[in-house]
Amino acid sequence: MQDWMIVLIIIGVILLLPVGWFISTMNTLKRKEVKVEEAESGIDVALTKRFDALSKLVQTVKGYAKHEAETFEKVVKWRAGLPKELSLEQKQEFMGRMNEVQSGINVAVEAYPDLKAEKVFVNLQNSINNVEEHLQAARRVYNSNVSTLNQRIVTFPTSIVAGMIGMTRKKFFEADEAKKSDVEISF
Amino acid sequence: MNDKLSYYQDKKARSEKFILIGGAVALLGVLSLFIAASTLPGGFEVLIVVILIGLIFVGVGFAQFSSVVKKFKNDYLKEMISEWIEDGYYDPKRGLSPAQVYHCEFLKKADRFHSEDLLTGKIDGVRFEASDIQLQERRQRQTKNGTQTYYVTYFKGQMYVFDFNKDFEGFLQVLENQRPQSRRKYDRVKLESIEFNKKFNTYSTNQHTAFYILTPQFQERLMAIERAHPGKIGFSFIDNQLHMAINNNKSNFTIHLFRRIDEALIKAFKEDLQVIYNIIDELKINKRIFKEA
Repeated sequence: MQDWMIVLIIIGVILLLPVGWFISTMNTLKRKEVKVEEAESGIDVALTKRFDALSKLVQTVKGYAKHEAETFEKVVKWRAGLPKELSLEQKQEFMGRMNEVQSGINVAVEAYPDLKAEKVFVNLQNSINNVEEHLQAARRVYNSNVSTLNQRIVTFPTSIVAGMIGMTRKKFFEADEAKKSDVEISF
Repeated sequence: MNDKLSYYQDKKARSEKFILIGGAVALLGVLSLFIAASTLPGGFEVLIVVILIGLIFVGVGFAQFSSVVKKFKNDYLKEMISEWIEDGYYDPKRGLSPAQVYHCEFLKKADRFHSEDLLTGKIDGVRFEASDIQLQERRQRQTKNGTQTYYVTYFKGQMYVFDFNKDFEGFLQVLENQRPQSRRKYDRVKLESIEFNKKFNTYSTNQHTAFYILTPQFQERLMAIERAHPGKIGFSFIDNQLHMAINNNKSNFTIHLFRRIDEALIKAFKEDLQVIYNIIDELKINKRIFKEA
């Protein structure tokens, strides 16, 4: 093989290496971004389930917790499911509103021991606990994936690729302080 | 001490006497063989007979001891456990089946499998099964006399299977310095707690399930269980069940030679059972707040 050919191959390899690294890093970042998006849709599913479970509970207790039923009506516009364009902040707000309704119901039914003992009510409450656990899990999965992606985005040299493809740090889905603890029946 | 315990203790003490007397006679025979056999006419043959008689006594003693232990476990302990635990069932001869044990997917298949002291029942509404497990691997080594096969124990301890209080999809394993022993596609999951990630390796086929089961509080409880139980511990969450295995080189419900069958022994057995109560209580799997009543 001619010397000039060897030099050409070496130059080619030297040029191709960064290109290969760039493509591979870009793909890794994109894959992680897709995982974040998947996790966000997991939150949407969990929020919708929680909304449905809360609707059933409100129907059951509306005779006992009128104020909470009215509060719930205000979020009923999302009965058909969460709009796709809803921002993370709006989702957090939606979750907060549902928490308010739930807490209000918990306090309101405190005065009705018969209702609390009803099997239908207990099952509904358990179903809400379960949906809440799923929602918290979805939130944590999302935050875990965001954390992994953000670490890549800010760490050199991956940060160069992230900057070139316009990828920026994602926001975390903040938890309502009260919901960070284990789900417990509070009445 | 109650009459039943005294009955077993008397029988056990008699078997121990046989072992002691037989052992002493055999030992005396062996010592005499070295010291005085040449000075006695026909002494060698006499001493061999003495040793044999001693060994027969030891053999009879061990047979009696084994029989007393079996009877005690089959009759007394079985009855006690059915009184202590709701739907309690105990079988000293049986244990969890190989299929049940390997279902946890973190114990590799053994060349020699042994399980005993099967215990099943319900505590605070939680169904459970437990047994002692011993798993051994066959190995070979070359000696001047050819190839020698021997067995090495890689797991000796207890396995517990509990009904879990959450329904979930997928498979989850929380292991101490181990990997899943399955062809299933498990991915490593990193949780928020650095301490938990240091202590355990978490693998799951479904990231959501891992976070759903392993809430921050549940992670704390698993670490508390690990601290309370010496030995290598593993948890797996499969088919809405929690499998827990402790490799601690111990056996439950063991009766030793020269240890009395009395209230203290019964207390020790209750402590063996206490592990099950502790796990249910500590992990709060008795809280049925996620399933329909």
